[in-house]
Amino acid sequence: MKNMRGLSRGGVELPRRAPFTHQGIENAYLPIQARVPVPSSFEGRDPGVLVSEGQELREGQLIARADGKGSANMHSPIPGFVRRIERKPGRDGRPSSEVLISLAGAFNISGKRQERYIWKSLNTGDILHIIQDKGVVQASSGKPVYELLHGRLEGGHPRLVINALEMDPYRRVEEALLLERRPALIDACDIVAKVLKPRAIYCLVERGLRKDIVEALTAAAAEAELAIEFRAAPRRYPADMPSIAARQLAEAEGADYLPAEWVMLEPSVLLAVHDAVVLNKAHMEQYVYVGGGAINEARVLKARIGSPIGDLIEECGGFKGQAAAIVINDPLCGWAAADLDEAVDKRTRSVIALSPEEAHRAPSRPCVRCGACVDACPEGLEPYMLYKLIAAGRRDEALERGLGRCSSCAACSWSCWSRLPLVTAFDEAKGAAGA
Amino acid sequence: MNYICALSLTPVLLWSVALYGVAAASVWAWAAASALLCQAALDAASRKLSVLDGSSLVTGLLVATVMPPGAAWYMPVAASAFAIVVARGLFGGYGKNWMNPALAGAAFAFANWPEAMRSYLMPRALSGVDGLSGVSPIGMIRDLDAFGPVGAMEALRQLGYPLSAADGAVTGFLNDVLFLPLGARLPEGYADLMLGLKPGALGDGALIAVLAGSVLLLSLRSIKWRIPLFALVPFVLLARAFGLGLSSEGFMQGDVLFALSGGGVVLASFFMATDPVCSPVRRGAQAAYGLIIGVLFYVFRRLGAFADGAVYAILIANVLCPSLERRLPELARFFKPRGSA
Repeated sequence: MKNMRGLSRGGVELPRRAPFTHQGIENAYLPIQARVPVPSSFEGRDPGVLVSEGQELREGQLIARADGKGSANMHSPIPGFVRRIERKPGRDGRPSSEVLISLAGAFNISGKRQERYIWKSLNTGDILHIIQDKGVVQASSGKPVYELLHGRLEGGHPRLVINALEMDPYRRVEEALLLERRPALIDACDIVAKVLKPRAIYCLVERGLRKDIVEALTAAAAEAELAIEFRAAPRRYPADMPSIAARQLAEAEGADYLPAEWVMLEPSVLLAVHDAVVLNKAHMEQYVYVGGGAINEARVLKARIGSPIGDLIEECGGFKGQAAAIVINDPLCGWAAADLDEAVDKRTRSVIALSPEEAHRAPSRPCVRCGACVDACPEGLEPYMLYKLIAAGRRDEALERGLGRCSSCAACSWSCWSRLPLVTAFDEAKGAAGA
Repeated sequence: MNYICALSLTPVLLWSVALYGVAAASVWAWAAASALLCQAALDAASRKLSVLDGSSLVTGLLVATVMPPGAAWYMPVAASAFAIVVARGLFGGYGKNWMNPALAGAAFAFANWPEAMRSYLMPRALSGVDGLSGVSPIGMIRDLDAFGPVGAMEALRQLGYPLSAADGAVTGFLNDVLFLPLGARLPEGYADLMLGLKPGALGDGALIAVLAGSVLLLSLRSIKWRIPLFALVPFVLLARAFGLGLSSEGFMQGDVLFALSGGGVVLASFFMATDPVCSPVRRGAQAAYGLIIGVLFYVFRRLGAFADGAVYAILIANVLCPSLERRLPELARFFKPRGSA
């Protein structure tokens, strides 16, 4: 394992990680009613919903077909019948559908003994087809994995990076998977390696990760005749964001950073790939960390997509004191849950209930040009200036000054002394510019 | 951030109160109270709350640092009021002013009461009695050529400038323990300047207290460290190379310790020049801004009519700041090889 130097610029020092003891990943209870969001694609089109109200569904049955770039197939996470199909504005503000499924009938996948598919006999096209068919989506970016892999086939041999970094103070999903799903992870690496034929396979872990985890993984990889090189990154946010992690790694390797040459996949995505290819299972489960100062007992759960987050919280002993905010994914660039009925979807990796001290709400004050945001920005932008330009209605100038490069990591908002909602403004402006 | 700054000023405040007693405490209190009251009045008029953000408190305290101890009550009050209402309030409040309000207030006071602002009290420890006034060492050294080629310290002694007992003790201790093995010797008098045992403005007094505050500011990362660095280094180099105007000072023989210990240069570069609102954000511009301040410190100190040039040096740099931010990138492009970003 080699140590890396860390971010070449920007980044912020977040508070220490919340204490957590791994007690195994447990399956969450099945939801009585699953709300399956059918998100619209980047091109604004909905995956076509294939079911109608009242229809009976098998577990894992296709309920919506991908339509165009950025959208993925959706499957029913539970057996049952379609209670309702609703249209409402999704997280990005565009209208999207939501299929409400009531639990009923037999489990034809979960109830049976798992069969292992002999995937080694498949060719690249078959594997890609399965990944596309099973609707596997990368949680961090929301992109279908099929697109991530398919796009790289022409460009020669890319580098595959298993990105197990988690720089926010709470989430432990990827770490837990490294710890407990070793054989499946190695299998998934093998599968992806077969598709990509990568020049090298790296695994990014945090400095200070237990040595025995790394050693066990290396040994298991060697058994599968995979050479995985481990690289340890110092703890600094947002070193875990795919583009930034890739750049950091490229620098450490002395390579030029070309985005097309680096395929960043998290352990959670690799597991979904494994389940799809080896176990013939659609992407209908998600590993979710439930924690935060207002949760009694932090845990990593394997939850069905569509489970209400309230159920997951209850399974973790419920609330401890009052929760000031419930955040999906991470406190910096995640989003706030509207209510406890909000459903787990393919992008959910953690549900964090913040105590009032953690949320630390305070009013914002005028910008004093202290320059903290400039120092924090990993892209070398000037967030304070972009914010002022957007506030003055000069979005084009903001775009000229690199607003498009902003990855919305929120390091600037975190470091702002005046607590300005910088990233919120950037996201709005980017959304308006893209539309 | 503002409260960090206010906290960093407390060593200066406590030290000056220790030196001058009530004469100092009253000035601090008047300046701070006036700033807070004016801000409260502005808040009431504009229906928003910004008294509590600490910025007015810092402004008030900074106004007090340029006041002489024992200043009449209306001086700090008027200077603070001008700072808060005219230099900041009229431009839209906290974060929107284009020059440092505390310095604007100081300039206002210097312009209105030039005599009173420069008649300093002797610290009690030096004179033994309260209320004795004196001229600051820098002010004194200006017309010293009558004494012929002597160093700053000898000149001061010849003028009958008193030496405190503390100075003897500190200098003796340093010479015996630290400098003797190194083959150097610290002349008497510098310890007095460092400890503030000399007539001077409230913040000008104790270099040690100012440095303690600046350590706090730097360690809590609440100031742009490039600015004081780029201000003080050129100032020291220039002072060393060309002296401060004494005929005894040949090339590269300037008295750096003396240059630093007077005129509030150190306090100004750590606390006033680094006011985030009026200083550049870009790193290159910060360096240039610091450089301008440092050179102006020296120019005003060497040629200016009064020793308090630091205030005006920073005000001028404040004015130049927007142009610096805008023009420097264009200038930088000039020197970079073609093709690089």
